Amino acid sequence: MTAASAHFDEAQGALIASGDWHADAASVLPGLGGKTVRILDGAGITQLDTNGAWLLLSAACPGAGDPMPELRAFQPRHLAMLQLVAQHGAATRTLPGPQREGVRLITGRGTLALWGHVVGLLDFIGRLFVELVALVPRPGSWRWRELGAQVRDVFVGAIPIVAGMLFLLGVVFAYLLGDQARQYGANIFVVDGMVLAVLREVSPVIVAVLVAGRTGAAITAQIGTMKVTEEIDAITTLGLSPLTVLVIPRILALLLAMPLLVFIGDIAGLAGGMLVAQQQLDISFSMFMDRLADVILLKTLLVGLGKAPVFAIFIALIACRMGLSVTRDARSVGANTTSTVVQSLVAIIILNAIFAVMFVRLGI
Amino acid sequence: MGDTVIEVRDVFTTLGGHAIHRGLSLSVARGEVIALIGGSGTGKSVLLKEIIGLLRPQAGRIALFGQSVWDSTPDQMNGLRRRFGVLFQDGALFSSLSVEDNVATPLFEHTALPHATCRQLARLKLALAGLPLDTAKKRPSELSGGMRKRVALARALSLDPELLFLDEPTSGLDPISARAFDRLIRLLADSLGLTVFLVTHDLDTLFSIIDRVIVLSNGRVLGSGTVAELKHIDDPWLHDYFAARSSEGEPVHGN
Repeated sequence: MTAASAHFDEAQGALIASGDWHADAASVLPGLGGKTVRILDGAGITQLDTNGAWLLLSAACPGAGDPMPELRAFQPRHLAMLQLVAQHGAATRTLPGPQREGVRLITGRGTLALWGHVVGLLDFIGRLFVELVALVPRPGSWRWRELGAQVRDVFVGAIPIVAGMLFLLGVVFAYLLGDQARQYGANIFVVDGMVLAVLREVSPVIVAVLVAGRTGAAITAQIGTMKVTEEIDAITTLGLSPLTVLVIPRILALLLAMPLLVFIGDIAGLAGGMLVAQQQLDISFSMFMDRLADVILLKTLLVGLGKAPVFAIFIALIACRMGLSVTRDARSVGANTTSTVVQSLVAIIILNAIFAVMFVRLGI
Repeated sequence: MGDTVIEVRDVFTTLGGHAIHRGLSLSVARGEVIALIGGSGTGKSVLLKEIIGLLRPQAGRIALFGQSVWDSTPDQMNGLRRRFGVLFQDGALFSSLSVEDNVATPLFEHTALPHATCRQLARLKLALAGLPLDTAKKRPSELSGGMRKRVALARALSLDPELLFLDEPTSGLDPISARAFDRLIRLLADSLGLTVFLVTHDLDTLFSIIDRVIVLSNGRVLGSGTVAELKHIDDPWLHDYFAARSSEGEPVHGN
């Protein structure tokens, strides 16, 4: 192993290289300051690979139209290497400049993408509806086993995290509410506040956010990976519909699981409130329960539980559609999974706002 | 130059309670183009993974360029990795990078060259692998299977390795592309002075470009030599293996 070296002999116009010429030899190339290299001397070169040969050649004739210098005193195998590189290397000289994209191009492309997205979603919902209508009279072709497996994943797997999160949120809410209520001696009204906040808003929204992050992302990643590995194509070729086999069981599973999860969230949230009420506000568990029985309205419970299936449908539709629109590579699985979570969260917030306005207008 | 590039001695491997290699030994000299063959489940790909440092055997010594793969420090191992290139079976191109960035990645990581130079060198490798220049800016997902293999070959060659590992280079290619790929491998091996170690099932590859074939069977090397020499080995699997070609090929060529 000898280090590469090179110097420029101005009298002869010769670039004289020696040593081992690899990719790392770039740093020893002398600055030529625009002078023409007429001779490339390789008498001292001990090793030459394609990277080294390319570096020498591009130093000797930097412009595309420059004449090849005379190759002097190279060993035959090094000469062969130089000629191989020169033969293929001509094409690598001209770097096409990076394409500049104007604002109009980006805006136009973004608008088209958005439009394509909306059309795609409508198309997806339409096809789904057709499949569903065709499936209703044929209970034999429902995927009950898949549905069961999905309910287990979506519902049973999410119970600990939902209960834990809502319990802690219940604690925080009761603590803050209690702090205010105590100043007016209105300790017991904490129960009223908790019922309204947890049952109507906190539990449905937080559960939907958790499900979007947990199940929505999983659905997109799973269906997307199946798309990449051509499993979806295999399902279609077997005469099955990916919508029947994959999408409908997932939508139904979410539809069943979300209200149940919201109910579990309700109980956990109130339990958290009850604990704080006892510790901080001297409201015993039995007092809390008595008051709860007085103030809880079926209407409040149903409003909260009623939001859940709507959130569920949106999360499931978005997740399945993004999964099926994955293209052939791993990058697109990641991008679509991210997009599922973002779209689901935005949908949940907007839907919740619509519900709030609607319920007020309807006097519920 | 008769020095040994790959040395595998007394390797034992057990995977999932199943003995795969039982005292396997082989060696490859500089400049050879070697094919490793064997029935399904004889541990060809496992051996390849052990040689390139992805899977540790239970016992035995594996050395590349005289340096043990499994007793090297991480720095020594990285030094070794610069000296060999690997072509994975399905190409294993990075789907988030353009074709030329895929090929330039080893140069970005292992040399101090400016990125523009790395990309130009990457194009040189793409040209050597027989790809037209307009593939450079494409994404791997836009290419056909044969072109992806060529890009993967270009990436394996980007640091000008002395040793090239190929895992089933012609699988999934049509016969015309497969033969073209074979010729390319041989051409590059000869012009760049590479040592090539390939795992294959493709008989046409064996007959056209291989100097020496190594046969794995029952966790050991059953035999090694040219195709003609192997035909004299009395082994049922090897017999069936070569019979598969003669029964197909002869009526067509009439000899």
